[in-house]
Amino acid sequence: MTATTPLRTWQHASAVALAVSAALWAFFVWRAPIDAMQGPIQKILYVHVPVVLGAYLGFFLTALGGGLYLWRREERWDRLAAAAAEVGVLFCTLVLVTGPIWAKGTWGRWWTWDLRLTLTLLLYLVYVSYLLLRSFTEGSERAARFAAVYAIAGLAVIPLNYFAIDLAGGRTVHPENLGRGSLGAGMRAPFALGMLTAVAAFAHLLVRRLEVGALRSERDRREAEAFREEA
Amino acid sequence: MSYAVASYALVVGGLVAYGAWLARSRRRLERELGGPRERNHG
Repeated sequence: MTATTPLRTWQHASAVALAVSAALWAFFVWRAPIDAMQGPIQKILYVHVPVVLGAYLGFFLTALGGGLYLWRREERWDRLAAAAAEVGVLFCTLVLVTGPIWAKGTWGRWWTWDLRLTLTLLLYLVYVSYLLLRSFTEGSERAARFAAVYAIAGLAVIPLNYFAIDLAGGRTVHPENLGRGSLGAGMRAPFALGMLTAVAAFAHLLVRRLEVGALRSERDRREAEAFREEA
Repeated sequence: MSYAVASYALVVGGLVAYGAWLARSRRRLERELGGPRERNHG
C-alpha cells in the first residue's frame, strides 16, 4: 500500500463514470434537434457550457485547497490547490477555444470585448498567473502561503463572471445563463449529460494530477534526505 | 457543422493530450522513485 493507492481507486471509479456519461452525452448530442435559429453550430453549446463548469470547479477547489492549507499547514492541501488550478486552467482554455468558434459562426467574428468574454479572459489570466507564480517559487512554504491567499482572492472573479449578463444590464451579446434562457425540447438531456461528463472528466484528471503531485513530493523529500545525509 | 465538429475535436483532443501527459509524468516519476528504493534495499 503506497500513498497513491487510494488515488488509484478513485482514478478507476472516475474513469468508469466518465466512460458511461461520455457515451450517453455523445448519443444525446447526436440525437438533439437542430436549433431553428442557429442551425448545427448551436451544438457547440453542449460542450462549451459544461467546460465552464470544469473551470469553475477547478478554481473553487484551488481556493478551497489554499484555505485549508492556511488553516492546517498540511502539504496535501497545497498539492490539491496546485492540481485543481492546473486542471481548471485546462478547462478554461477549452472555454476560450470553443466560445470564439461558436461566436465566429453565430456573430461573424471570433471575439468581442463583451463583459462576459472579458471577465472569462480575466479569470483565465488570474489562474495562469497563479500557475506561473507557483512554477517560479516551487517548494517554498512562504510561496505556498502567498499562492493560497492569491487563489482565494482570485475566486472573486467567478461570481462576477457568472452574473456578468445581469451586471451588463442588457448591454451584452452573450447568451443568458442556462435556466433563464429557453431550452427547446430535446435540449435538456445533452446539457445535463454534458455537465455530468465535464464533472467526471474533471474528477478523473484531478485525481491523476494529484497522483503526479504526490509522486513529485515524494521525490523531492527523498532528494532532500539524500542531500542532508551527504552534508 | 464543421465549426461544431472542430469544437468537439479540440475539447476531446485537449483532454486526452493532458491525460497522456499526466500518464507520462507518472511513469517517469515512478521510474525515478524505483531507483533509490532499490538502492536502499541493496
